[in-house]
Amino acid sequence: MPDLEGNMHILRLIPYFIKVSFQEEAAYRANFFISLFTSVLNLATGVLGIMILFGQIDSIHGWNEASTMALLGIYLMVTALRGLFIGPGLDALAGMDGEIWAGKFDFVLLRPLNTQALVSLRKWRLFSLFDLLLGLGVFILALAKMQTVLSAWQIFSFVIALFSGLVILYAILLIFSALVFWSPGVLFTWVFDGLFQMARYPMGMYPGWLRLVLTWIIPVGMITTIPAEALTGSLEPVMLVASLLLAAALFAAGTALFQIGLRRYSSASS
Amino acid sequence: MNDSHIQVRNLSKTYRVPVRPEGLRASVGSLFHPTYDDIPAVKGISFDVHAGEVVGFIGPNGAGKTTTLKMLSGLIHPTSGELTVLGFEPWKRDAKYLKRISIVMGNKSQMLWDIPPMDSFRVLGEIYNVPAGQFKQTLDEIIELLDMQELLTKPVRNLSLGERMKCELAASLLYRPAVLFLDEPTLGLDVSMQLRLRKFLADYNRRSGVTVILTSHYMADVTALCPRVILIHNGSLMFDGELSSLARDLAPYKLLRLTLLEVTSMESLKLPEGAEITEREGLGLSIRVPRADAPDITANLLQTLPVSDLTVEDPPIEAVIDRVYTGGSL
Repeated sequence: MPDLEGNMHILRLIPYFIKVSFQEEAAYRANFFISLFTSVLNLATGVLGIMILFGQIDSIHGWNEASTMALLGIYLMVTALRGLFIGPGLDALAGMDGEIWAGKFDFVLLRPLNTQALVSLRKWRLFSLFDLLLGLGVFILALAKMQTVLSAWQIFSFVIALFSGLVILYAILLIFSALVFWSPGVLFTWVFDGLFQMARYPMGMYPGWLRLVLTWIIPVGMITTIPAEALTGSLEPVMLVASLLLAAALFAAGTALFQIGLRRYSSASS
Repeated sequence: MNDSHIQVRNLSKTYRVPVRPEGLRASVGSLFHPTYDDIPAVKGISFDVHAGEVVGFIGPNGAGKTTTLKMLSGLIHPTSGELTVLGFEPWKRDAKYLKRISIVMGNKSQMLWDIPPMDSFRVLGEIYNVPAGQFKQTLDEIIELLDMQELLTKPVRNLSLGERMKCELAASLLYRPAVLFLDEPTLGLDVSMQLRLRKFLADYNRRSGVTVILTSHYMADVTALCPRVILIHNGSLMFDGELSSLARDLAPYKLLRLTLLEVTSMESLKLPEGAEITEREGLGLSIRVPRADAPDITANLLQTLPVSDLTVEDPPIEAVIDRVYTGGSL
């Protein structure tokens, strides 16, 4: 079990990880422009989709243009945060040239740190800060469009729901990443990326069965829809509690699966 | 205090490997009813290594060297047997343990590819909590011993294999580990770089008293560095002792090297059973004889042949090991 002192130590290491990651990124300047292009394209398709949709109708299942736009802002921000620091570290594990396949994971395992924390926090992708800014821009624009003054409860529940959503995102990524210990060559997180695209739109827009799946089974809906509902004031408090409980359960499950994967690695690898 | 750094008792490792049958039908079948083979990689080996020793771990490919090294470092879990290193059970990977050991693998790199080594070293220093003063002192010492000052600011991907191996060694020693595992550290290096690394390892061991376990396919690494060797074959320990006695223990024959005074016909020479002429060139002659018969045959040769010079030698270490690797029987 990770000790408190050990966890503080890894937090102190974050500035060093950021610095080194930045140096690594700077070695490939072309990536910067490709990254910029992808970000803008991602933003444009999201905004265009909403404009086309709400050019024809005023609202769908209680979601109007402003609240859907706020949800897109949340989606973009959450995606950016994942790209900023959890994603790069976990993604480096998988694939044909990934650390597990190539055996470089041995060195990660032998660092005197909590392996899960190290894997999650070691790589940073600072380009994602640009994505974060774009997402924040869309979010602020949407808030302005709403033209309402947010109550203390709305702000509070939004912050809690967003935190809970981020934990859920981390836990799901951890679960998908841990599968790599069983099949090192497969990029399982790509499967998740496909599913996560569905979180661009409010869960209310999907048919009932799919909504259930996306809320409880592979809860990408929890990550964006619940915070957006908190913001518009349509969130029932019970859902906020449910979201927190789900986050705790998934975090525990993800951590457990990752540990089982580590044990498998140490008994099976040669 | 027990100065034994590594204690290994009846250590075994068996891998479970899925059996992949030939043919589509059988492949589909194995998806639902997978069958496994148990492959024993290490079979009940025992040894001790004392503080400051440099031990050469040798054996053919697939003998179980790397598996043993991985168990010692904590990367894999033993199937059975007991194993402690510095008083720790390695597989638990206790942070206190990991701070005191290090591993260098000739075929895997721990350096960050796109940035200069110095930056990787700094991060490692922080990860291992090395105090700033000690970090500088250790690094300066290693840089001087390895003569690598000019490498520190070049991106690792621009370094040659030998230069990179210097960096790997430096990275592994920054936090002054008490035990160092070296898995084929000279793999692919040219002869002068091999020599340089050997000299570095010998110097560093003398200065720091680090315990070293080294595997290598280059016997020169082992003969230059390791007073003691452990030989494993098919997962079993075949020899553990001084390098100089390896040939005596494992090779049941000796080599007699003769120089004759004049060209002589060998027809009159009667060699006993088991002895044979292995080499003949001009006046030089090599005869392989059973170890026990060496004195008698030597006396006999001196009587029957016009000998100007005669030496009795153990066979070359490579030849002994080759016989173990290829035949298993001697």
